[in-house]
Amino acid sequence: MFEILKSIISRMNANYADIRYETKKETKITFNGKELNQIGSNTTDGYVLRVLKNGGFSSIAFTKEADAEKAIKSVLENARLISKNIKKAVEFAKTEIIEDKFLPELKEDPRMISIDEKLELTRKYNGIPLKHKGISTTNIQYLEVIREKYFVSTEGSEIREDLTTTRINGLITSKDGNLIQNVRAGVGGSNGFALLRDKEEEFEKKTGIALELLKAKPVNGRAYNVILNPSMAGVFTHEAFGHFSEADLLEDNPSMREKMQLGAKLGSNVLNIIDDPIMPDQLGFYKYDDEGVEARPTQLLKDGVLVGRLHSRRTAAAFGEPLSGHCVAEDYRYAPIIRMGNIFIQPGTNTFDDLLAELKDGLYILDAKGGQTSGENFTFGAQYGYIVKNGKINEMIRDINISGNLYKTLQNISMVGNDLVLCQAGGCGKGQLNIRSCHGAPHIIIKDVIVGGV
Amino acid sequence: MEKLMEIAKKVSDKVEIYSLEQITDSISFENAKLKDVDSKLQSGFSLRIIKDGKMGFAFTKNLVDRDEFLQNALNSLKGGAEANFDLPLTKDLPKLDTYNPSIESLTNTEIVNECNRICDILAPKTSGQVNIYAGRVINRIRLINSNSTDLSTNLSFYYTYNSIMYPGSYSSISRETIYKKFERTPDECLNFILNTYNQSLKEVSPKGGKMKVLFLPESMYVLMWRVLSATSGKSIYENQSPISEKLGEAIFDNKFTIYNDPLNDKMPDARSFDDEGTPCQYFPIIENGVLKNFYYDLHYASKLNTRPTGHGFRSAVWGGDPVTIRPIPSLDHLYIKPGDKSFEELIGSIDRGIIVAGALGAHSGNIPNGDFSIGLSPGLYVENGGIVGYVKDAMVAGNIYDVMKNVLAVEDTLYPATMGTFPAVLFDNVSVATKS
Repeated sequence: MFEILKSIISRMNANYADIRYETKKETKITFNGKELNQIGSNTTDGYVLRVLKNGGFSSIAFTKEADAEKAIKSVLENARLISKNIKKAVEFAKTEIIEDKFLPELKEDPRMISIDEKLELTRKYNGIPLKHKGISTTNIQYLEVIREKYFVSTEGSEIREDLTTTRINGLITSKDGNLIQNVRAGVGGSNGFALLRDKEEEFEKKTGIALELLKAKPVNGRAYNVILNPSMAGVFTHEAFGHFSEADLLEDNPSMREKMQLGAKLGSNVLNIIDDPIMPDQLGFYKYDDEGVEARPTQLLKDGVLVGRLHSRRTAAAFGEPLSGHCVAEDYRYAPIIRMGNIFIQPGTNTFDDLLAELKDGLYILDAKGGQTSGENFTFGAQYGYIVKNGKINEMIRDINISGNLYKTLQNISMVGNDLVLCQAGGCGKGQLNIRSCHGAPHIIIKDVIVGGV
Repeated sequence: MEKLMEIAKKVSDKVEIYSLEQITDSISFENAKLKDVDSKLQSGFSLRIIKDGKMGFAFTKNLVDRDEFLQNALNSLKGGAEANFDLPLTKDLPKLDTYNPSIESLTNTEIVNECNRICDILAPKTSGQVNIYAGRVINRIRLINSNSTDLSTNLSFYYTYNSIMYPGSYSSISRETIYKKFERTPDECLNFILNTYNQSLKEVSPKGGKMKVLFLPESMYVLMWRVLSATSGKSIYENQSPISEKLGEAIFDNKFTIYNDPLNDKMPDARSFDDEGTPCQYFPIIENGVLKNFYYDLHYASKLNTRPTGHGFRSAVWGGDPVTIRPIPSLDHLYIKPGDKSFEELIGSIDRGIIVAGALGAHSGNIPNGDFSIGLSPGLYVENGGIVGYVKDAMVAGNIYDVMKNVLAVEDTLYPATMGTFPAVLFDNVSVATKS
């Protein structure tokens, strides 16, 4: 394959070109309620060609090898068009030339497990909620995605890397009359099939919550002091802060860039945030990004001060900051963009009980249910929560969405727990879907958060 | 495809092959400057076979090894996913105008020039950041099945997404255009975003509580998402719809008429058949507030012993490659019937209220139950019939079965937006949470 790829880029009359070929094997097993809805494995493949010519940078994705000539012509035309229409030429930060084959060791390679065994395990977890009368349905899916990547650049890099993602996750839905509640349940990761085994407890726990939610009260919408559990605090870190550490979102947004200057004191002193894609065994793990840059841990916030940023080669040059190896594509249909790997709030020293005592009165909000940001404002949902009175957890509440201003909220984080947890299944939709987007945090306290009730 | 059909028919009872070829060019301007030009040449095939009432499914990008491709579908039969439906024999469909050949010769240079023209109009008249996204898409679809159906269609699209962003954010006033061929973005569209943005520059912190809330076409998808969830044949079958027993009942205000109209070929993407070969039709969901229909594909229609309604499309909420997605019940051509008030009249009728010009978090919250709880991105505050400023840190929340019962007025014009073609709709008595 490398020879075919080298032959394609050797035909490029450009300052720089790279090409990535990938096969993507997807295995899906889906249950809707007790019915098996889908099962099967399929492999697709394609190419992404990128070119830098006279300061114009463009990319094209194509699926047929026979379209290579057409693709070369189009991408060069597009680069020329950009070059003619921009004032400041695009440059790439210098990176090490890498020749490597990296096939990570897995704890049970899912390729070696029969589809029957995958089906039985999924059926077993799906069956746990369905034993209960109040559960109206489930949507539980086994998903395995194996990307085999080949990367070649005109600078001489030649990299082979595999990314294997496995998970069993989905929704458990409870219903009482017209009231419908659902809870997400799931296990998964990037280091093999073994981590899916013996996870009955997760599905039992989430079933219990789905049933309890039928009796929970809707929260009253207003501002509260809150404790976020690691899942919620992780989504906050990803959505509200993490995206604005991605330099491509800032590059041409002068007003955001102004606020996100390195050295700016953005958060309270207790807040430290890092993105570390090479943390072993975590969902977001990779060695090289899709520009052939070696991934490296990047400290983003240190004692509340912005000290780093996630970069592509293009943005690292434009900002004059170090490369971080965070330019990643969903698959062969996309040119890479800047993504988080494993982003998390680094743990402090306080126990959960310390946090409850500090909060006194407020809400304890658990388990994220999707989030979104538009710069300084963010919104995300929680699956359930509890009212906290005088440091004690009281009744369950539902229909919780929180919203806030990034900068005010970072300043309002008053305590960070010592119990870091990273997520096992991801799904960040920044133009492309990143199923390995991993985030985490310990429990944290945030003061004065808007909670929208229904 | 014919060869594959031949070999697949020998080993299964029913066969369906879907193919899609897609050419995409996308151009982005950020801060009124050209940023990216990217292209895609994608193709693929999707195969469904039914044998002994079980479904087999496979997909590939390159139809090189037909036997291996068929084997993938046969392997997936083993799991035993049920499929008790017939594949339709569909022919003699109405001819729709879905493709303008001029799209083939439309160059990226012409699109870049148009974006430059738009930026030159907008940028000098506003302090906000101008971002424009534009491009063209050409889709060629073919669908054949073992019941002798052989359908194909070509679809052409040219679109622009025009936006002015508030400082320090990605929150914007935006409006889309979509045509079958290149068209200049009309002044009316650019004036709307300019005027709305320029009137709302002041940051305001109104008191929360129940008030009038105007959803723009750009944020109506928040509510429509919940309607789509509740009326899908899949939700009915899975007992996930709070309105499964309410056909024929008034569930919304009588000013609401919501329908799916794939045959409307004034808009791009008109379809005479769905992705399973069932003929498409004009299809009312809500008529004057009354729940009229649930929508089905072949699978869920057979499960519920009803007729398929032509809504089996290979679509997913988060996008995805259609050849890799099996058809599910989808309303891909959704409209809300226009009302009788101009946009200015709608604003003029608000004594105190919020305009939801964009939403954050539409996908979170309890969608099956009809609940929504969204951050405003942006929200504009209106007092005494005029826009006063934009609101930070506020949320609008409710349940569609309450909120959509209290419609004050519906705008008289439709605009293409996320999930359909919608007017702005003014609701009364909606809950707004703020810090004040």
